[in-house]
Amino acid sequence: MATNILSIGQSALTAAQVGINTTGHNIANASTPGYNRQVVIQGAALAQNFGFGFLGQGTEISTVQRVYSEHLATQVQTAQSGKSGLESYYAQIRQINDMLADPTAGVSPALQGFFASVQNLSNNPASVPARQSVISTADALAARVQGMDSRLAEIEQGINSQVVSSVAVINTYAQQIATLNDAIGKALRSTGQPPNDLLDQRDQLVLELNKEVKATVVKQGDGDYNVFVGNGQPLVVGARTSPLVAVASPTNSQRVEVGYLASNGSLVIVGDNGFVGGKLGGLLQFRSETLTATQNALGRVAIGLATTFNTQHQAGFDLAGAAGGAFFNQGGPFIGANSGNTGTATLGASITNVGALTTSDYHLSYDGSNYTVTRLSDNTASTYASLPQTVDGVQISLASGIPAAGDYFLIRPTAKGATGFSVALTDPADIAAASAPGAVGNNTNALALAALQTANTLAGGSVTYQGAYGQMVSQVGNKTRELEVTSAAATNLLEQSTVAMQSESGVNLDEEATNLLRYQQAYQAAAKLMQIAQDMFNALLTIGR
Amino acid sequence: MRISTLQLFDTGAARIGDVQSALAKTQQQIATGRKMLSPSDDPVAASRALEVAQTQSINQQYAANRVQVKNSLGQVDGTLASVSDTLLGIRDALVSVGNPGLTDNERGFIATELSSRFQALLGLANTRDAQGNYLFSGFQSNTVPFVETPAGATYQGDSGQQLVQVDSTRRMAVSDTGQNIFQGGGQDVFQTIKDMVTLLQTPVVTPANRAALSAGTATGLADIDKAINAVLTTRASVGTRMQEIDSLDDAGATRDVQYKAILSEIQDLDYTEALTRQSRQQLTLEAAQQSFVKMASLSLFNFLR
Repeated sequence: MATNILSIGQSALTAAQVGINTTGHNIANASTPGYNRQVVIQGAALAQNFGFGFLGQGTEISTVQRVYSEHLATQVQTAQSGKSGLESYYAQIRQINDMLADPTAGVSPALQGFFASVQNLSNNPASVPARQSVISTADALAARVQGMDSRLAEIEQGINSQVVSSVAVINTYAQQIATLNDAIGKALRSTGQPPNDLLDQRDQLVLELNKEVKATVVKQGDGDYNVFVGNGQPLVVGARTSPLVAVASPTNSQRVEVGYLASNGSLVIVGDNGFVGGKLGGLLQFRSETLTATQNALGRVAIGLATTFNTQHQAGFDLAGAAGGAFFNQGGPFIGANSGNTGTATLGASITNVGALTTSDYHLSYDGSNYTVTRLSDNTASTYASLPQTVDGVQISLASGIPAAGDYFLIRPTAKGATGFSVALTDPADIAAASAPGAVGNNTNALALAALQTANTLAGGSVTYQGAYGQMVSQVGNKTRELEVTSAAATNLLEQSTVAMQSESGVNLDEEATNLLRYQQAYQAAAKLMQIAQDMFNALLTIGR
Repeated sequence: MRISTLQLFDTGAARIGDVQSALAKTQQQIATGRKMLSPSDDPVAASRALEVAQTQSINQQYAANRVQVKNSLGQVDGTLASVSDTLLGIRDALVSVGNPGLTDNERGFIATELSSRFQALLGLANTRDAQGNYLFSGFQSNTVPFVETPAGATYQGDSGQQLVQVDSTRRMAVSDTGQNIFQGGGQDVFQTIKDMVTLLQTPVVTPANRAALSAGTATGLADIDKAINAVLTTRASVGTRMQEIDSLDDAGATRDVQYKAILSEIQDLDYTEALTRQSRQQLTLEAAQQSFVKMASLSLFNFLR
């Protein structure tokens, strides 16, 4: 009997030690990211029948378990990828928003300064200083437009490098998850007990992965995590990974796109809309939605101004009585042929009507008999049996060669408009202020040039240059504001789901302090029990003395 | 509800961060005096501000244009006043020819006076502005408008009239061509004066001579009167334009005030509101910091000794 009491005491002592150990582990990891508190699952040992009844045999520890809810964890992961996506979008768009923030540094005042000098010219058509001022203010305007355009190009470059590093991070996480899948599987199979801290690490990696891109976890029967990203592209299957690759876009070498290697070894480009959420998703969404539209909108203002101003300028005559030439230079449409095209066709594109220009890019594909032109902003497609065709003020033609079925091209009508925007004139005498040759005081054409400032020349004759620029500012402002609101909401959602998960799984130090006291007392009581068993044994021994 | 210790700190820090960033924004608004720090603060107002700023800048340009028009018209008016004085002098001289007691010699003096008045008139007709452009040669502003000939003077300018945009819908003529003023309606004042000089230099011997002199003087007087009328008509038109400029100036100034008010309404900060908000946010921040410190210092471990 005394032996039994001793072993009961010992089981209690062990249980109390495990309890103190686990509590200590919890306290130590109270601030460890991704740590889920662990609890000792303890049960009474199987009782023994002594005839007069069942006598308890002490306690027994069945396992040490982490307190973890898969459901709550998934909620946190989803909220995290949503928040990271919106935040990365917001961080990008804020650069444009801040660039447009200062009212004295934008294109607007430069545009006003330029037209004020044209008005002054109309007042003094023969004055060389007035003429010089038109060229100088035009130079200032061109510098402002180009400066803004090159800032946008910098942002585009920045996205490229961030996409590359994000893809590298995703692949690293994928590799680590696969390694943990392997280690967890081995631990489970060999011991039958859950390796809690490895499980925590893997779940934390899934959460970190969701900061980069929205990832879906499908838990397998053997405990493995299979992870999918994008349009169901498997990233981790068991202990194997299928890494993502960042490559130059086949139609636009300026941009890096994300793809993966298909099972036959060929590269599949996923496209900017293929990834949602996470830093990567936010970057790609910003690029396709806002950056492209802003570049194009700025280009449209530049092309619109250059074309209409040149047309009016060429209708006039300069100081020497010669017909006016082009006042501004402008950038033409960008055409990117898919690098995998098998045909020999090269496309040509020219702007035939600035009033009809949109701020969208276009995609042209050939299926062997028909050409399909898709406006990417709203995916409106039109099909043609032959080229040239004019779409939204842009004439698309076949410059040379023959396309093969499956060939496609990217057409960006106004993307380079701001890049190539500069002043063509250098000699003040070349400004065509007169409506007829040989009259230095004739200011009629200068008046007509000045009137362009308030003429509705763009977007189907609905807005002025300033209006079109204002639309761009307001679009960026609206989207930024929307992101401020939605990312604040996503932050709240993440906070709430984290609170829900933490209230279940997080360490509360007061609770651990209580546990510490409890196990300490249990330990002391067990020791006392063993001392009593010892005393009882000693009592027996004294009988024989 | 169970609260994890980590969460307690995270949430506390996040709340303090929120209040801090709101306070920082208010501070930035106060420092810049701008309600709208970037387009995202109020996208509609941002694009409206650009529009109003352009309208305001155009309005100011029109005001600058009007100053120029006023200067030009002032110079035209001053010149025309001298022209009209000169013509009145010529007229007086012609009236004095009617005196039957004048000798050929005395008429010769009057002819000399007319010749010098001719030169004065020619000089006025060839007046240049401050930039060196001729006032009365139409678009040919670097060409002398009138060149003297034995029979009077020929006009070398053209019929162009320089217009200046003085308001959104008003283009105003700043010049009047010399041809209209001095040679309008088939009546050439230079020729008239030359004719008169020739007439006065012709000796009066026979009654026929005297009849020709009196008829010629009468015609000359009538022609000079027409010329004076033409100049006065032009001056009246110039005066009307100057008056119009004045009223456009008033309207333009009123609009400028309105645009400024709209821009201020859109962009400028209400300091009373902002400073009140700042004190409120400061109070909230202090409260959040103090309550966080109090809460964080509560731990059961403090009592386990």
